[in-house]
Amino acid sequence: MKSLRRTLFAVFAVATFVAFGQAPKIEFTEYDLSNGLHVILHQDNTTPIVAVSVLYHVGSKNEDAERTGFAHFFEHLLFEGSENIKRGEFDKYITNAGGTNNANTSNDRTFYYEILPSNQLELGLWLESERMMHAKIEPEGVETQREVVKEEKRQRMDNQPYGSILTEILKHAYTVHPYRWPTIGSLDHLNKATLEEFIDFYHTYYVPENATLSIAGDINIEEAKKSIDKYFKDIKRGSKPVPRPNVIEPPQTKEVRDVVFDNIQLPAVIEAYHMPEQGTDDAYALSMLSTLLSGGQSSRMYKALVDEQKKAYAVQAFPFASEDPGLYIIFGLSNIGVPVEELEEAMNAEITKVQKELISENEFQKIRNQIESDYVQGNSSMIGIAEQLADYHVYYGDANLINTELDRYKKITREDLQRVAKKYLVPENRVVLHYLPKSAQQKPGDTQLKSDN
Amino acid sequence: MRLVYFLSTLVLVSSTVLAQVDRSKAPAPKPAREIKIGEYQSFTLKNGLQVFVVENHKLPRLQVSIQLLHDPILEGDKAGYVSLAGDLIGTGTTSRSKSQLDEEVDFIGASLNTSSYSMYGSSLTKHSEKLLELFTDVLYHPAFRQEELDKLKTQTISGIAASKDDPEAIAANVRSMLIYGKDHPYGEIATEATVDAITIEDCQNYYQTYFKPNNAYLVMVGDISLKEAKRTAEKNFEVWQSGEVKPIKYDVPKQPEKTFVALVDRPASVQSIVNVAYPVNLEIGSDDAMKARVMNHILGGDFSSRLNQNLREKHGYTYGSGSQISSDRLVGRFTASASVRNEVTDSAVFEIMSELKRIMREPVSDNELKAAKASIAGSFGRSLEHPQTIASFAVNTARYNLPKDYYSSYLQRLDAVTIQDIQSIASKYIQPDHAYIEVVGKGSEVAEKLKQFGEVKYYDINAVEYEPKDSKPLPAGLTAEKVIDKYLSALGGRQKIEKVQTVKLTYKASAMGQELFMKIYKSPGKSLMEISNGGDFIFQKVLRNGDDVSMMVMGNKQEIDESEKERIKYESEVFPDLHLAGVKPWLISVDELDGDDVYVVEINFPKGTRKVDYYDVETGLKLRTENEVSTPEGPKRFPLTIDGYKEVQGIKFASKLIQQQGPMSLTFELQDVEVNPKLENSIFK
Repeated sequence: MKSLRRTLFAVFAVATFVAFGQAPKIEFTEYDLSNGLHVILHQDNTTPIVAVSVLYHVGSKNEDAERTGFAHFFEHLLFEGSENIKRGEFDKYITNAGGTNNANTSNDRTFYYEILPSNQLELGLWLESERMMHAKIEPEGVETQREVVKEEKRQRMDNQPYGSILTEILKHAYTVHPYRWPTIGSLDHLNKATLEEFIDFYHTYYVPENATLSIAGDINIEEAKKSIDKYFKDIKRGSKPVPRPNVIEPPQTKEVRDVVFDNIQLPAVIEAYHMPEQGTDDAYALSMLSTLLSGGQSSRMYKALVDEQKKAYAVQAFPFASEDPGLYIIFGLSNIGVPVEELEEAMNAEITKVQKELISENEFQKIRNQIESDYVQGNSSMIGIAEQLADYHVYYGDANLINTELDRYKKITREDLQRVAKKYLVPENRVVLHYLPKSAQQKPGDTQLKSDN
Repeated sequence: MRLVYFLSTLVLVSSTVLAQVDRSKAPAPKPAREIKIGEYQSFTLKNGLQVFVVENHKLPRLQVSIQLLHDPILEGDKAGYVSLAGDLIGTGTTSRSKSQLDEEVDFIGASLNTSSYSMYGSSLTKHSEKLLELFTDVLYHPAFRQEELDKLKTQTISGIAASKDDPEAIAANVRSMLIYGKDHPYGEIATEATVDAITIEDCQNYYQTYFKPNNAYLVMVGDISLKEAKRTAEKNFEVWQSGEVKPIKYDVPKQPEKTFVALVDRPASVQSIVNVAYPVNLEIGSDDAMKARVMNHILGGDFSSRLNQNLREKHGYTYGSGSQISSDRLVGRFTASASVRNEVTDSAVFEIMSELKRIMREPVSDNELKAAKASIAGSFGRSLEHPQTIASFAVNTARYNLPKDYYSSYLQRLDAVTIQDIQSIASKYIQPDHAYIEVVGKGSEVAEKLKQFGEVKYYDINAVEYEPKDSKPLPAGLTAEKVIDKYLSALGGRQKIEKVQTVKLTYKASAMGQELFMKIYKSPGKSLMEISNGGDFIFQKVLRNGDDVSMMVMGNKQEIDESEKERIKYESEVFPDLHLAGVKPWLISVDELDGDDVYVVEINFPKGTRKVDYYDVETGLKLRTENEVSTPEGPKRFPLTIDGYKEVQGIKFASKLIQQQGPMSLTFELQDVEVNPKLENSIFK
């Protein structure tokens, strides 16, 4: 009797678990203010914190080719203050309230956020509405931030091993599309830009109809709505439509290849293949393909190149997805003493294998499980949820994808993986870069010739 | 119409009334919601394993971990084995090879990691049974395969080799040894030799001694009820056999009697890493620890701290400066640090020491205290978003015997810290007179000026103290030009050298089982350097023809910036030291190089690059040349050593060239020299 009860209990427990095995639905409310500002609210009162974020649908792809780096520059400039916030005080309001904040810029959008104790929600709204309504764009702030951005570029790109990889990939992969320059852009362009140009950029893109206010955390929806009204309602729409680039990158027809020297110890091989824009079925298939190739230690590339052949120190495949057609990137770091050609060959062998042989049911199930696990565990923080909701709204016009995107992955078949591998992962569609240590460039010579670095 | 107009006016008016918002100042905070710390449960299994459960159903996932509680181990001549043992445990079981284990972990989208003091696994709830099967297989039946140990040893040794070049890693090693001493587990340094000595048995012994339930906590966090957690723990962990784990006692490291400077001389450094550090006895969870945390926040805890404001914002010495004070079960430590340019090293130390003294002598301001408290309270509040935080609170409370309400009263105790507390805690724990001032930097440029802070002692990168050779004074009247003249005489004399119009040199090296050939052709205003496999495959080719300089690597043309072109042109002359075209050499010092006294001569090119030559004081010959290249850690020099000369037609040519690059070195041996051969113009195209 005792053992029977146990068994029953176990069966019951398992059944419960399977029911729980769904990602919990993320409830949210969304609406537009009359000035076009889109608002998304997610209430979760577990912890007394609140994440306040504003996503502006402007990134480096909106820039003038002669004024690259503007979008990212604004991410700095808009901490300089506003009509009611003195220079240098923006951050202080937040830290003194026990909060934290940051911002980031991509080629498609710029994202600002604060995480505050929940009783300080209005502080976050005030700061963000000041930024949107009447940020100060003045010579002094512009000068200061030019210097800071210079240091940032030095530290994050110039001085960082492999820091120039993305810049080099984009430069080689795109010929006409504004994705051809990196978000950090050109310091020269920033130096040449006039104050009027900055002001114009602000009035063009930093307008409520181009923004999404996404808030997650310990709020009361109705009270939050009132507070949002209070601070954002009076912000005026822009005076002109928000421009959207419509440049189409012509298909690449021939493999592009180059060598880059950098301050690195281990040489690297990077392959970048053109891929369709995010949200398409093929983009989802390619995303699954990267799990097959490099997700976990049993993945094909990790197992073959790192564990067995010991040719690579690390290897990674990932879609660099974006609003317009993006790139599928495969990156391999060679072990000491392994020539890059050998590593590249071994990487390509894994791609050929996917193209030639349909993957097994079992391996496919593994990838689906991995993706499900990542997806379900993905939204564990308030700021993460706020950002996801805003992204889904802006890119796909459907914030509810935060609950349903997994279904799109579930539609993808084994045949799809093979098909996209054959369609996109071909030499004429790619850029191949070899990264070599600068010291290899400074070849040995006799003392008299000793030369070229 | 009128009505509509009227209505809309009304709407307008009312909305204006509603929108009466005072934008001129920040909104006042609403009453703060009480911060409640999440709950946890705890129980103990028959074998002594204490279990902690944090129930949180927000996400359908379960995280399981084991934490081991034994004292740190002194590893001696096998330093590094504890860490290796921890990694090795996760590389396969007696019934699963590493790749089988990886496959099964990935198949359920889980993660599973091991280390010397812990094990961690996580998966979706629906796979938790499988996760526990894998977790316990690793915990009970690790395989300890020799090939996996060998793989880990190779990786560790590569890491050690790479870190010899890394000033941050050197600083960390030497600092630990200074603070804790060689006979303390926190002060040991793993080297190639100690890692090489590690055996499978060492790892097995470690596992067999310490992976015991009575030496562990089991922590389960996530989508699991207490009842289910109990069942899971009993089913999976009650079979775990307990064993005796003895505590290990260590002497508590002492602060130095008197502050001194510990200099790690790194001639290639252009930046000094400065750390003012010493051990502190700060008990985990004590009142002092709380006060010290607030004090340290003001001194060097974040961007707006005093150290950063002083050294970065006010003086511009550094990209960032800060400090830390830690409580620890054996012994904690205080560190204040910055990375600064060579020439401001002493000034930076001075400012750090001044800030230490200031926080002891003067009360902090009310604003500083408020801001520090807000910042600490804020990050405490945000950390509660993650259920793992609750688990770590539970574990710490049990492990360090903290009062039951330690975390729930944390914010009240934080709030109670006063200005007077800060000052008294600073006087107790800030010890500028009993500190190690560790500097990793270029001794010849920084040592002298550091004497004002105490005795300057020299340490090598393995933290062994040594007596520096007194730097010899430069002979009066000696100049760089004279050193170079002596070198040219040693080569064969200006007269003979001036007659050399063209030259052709061939060197051979072998690397990774492959032969490399380097050919050098020089003619006035023209040069060619080519490295090939001896056949068609050309790795690199550098060509100068008049003003044109180009470089090809593996068949691809490389961009060369103007400063590099300048140097290539300079070096492409048959004997560049003969005319010193457009540059001015400087005699820097008399130094020692591998046991030989050498003159150090620097040449700074107008467009910014630099090279340093080392000439044997006795023979006059050049022994080494270094080119400076910018790298992530700042400029770095790539040395090329000349090992011997060969005389051809009365002129000496370098017979062996050794290029050192991190852990690798490449030796080129001279095969053939032709003096004044006829060189076709086509060679240089």
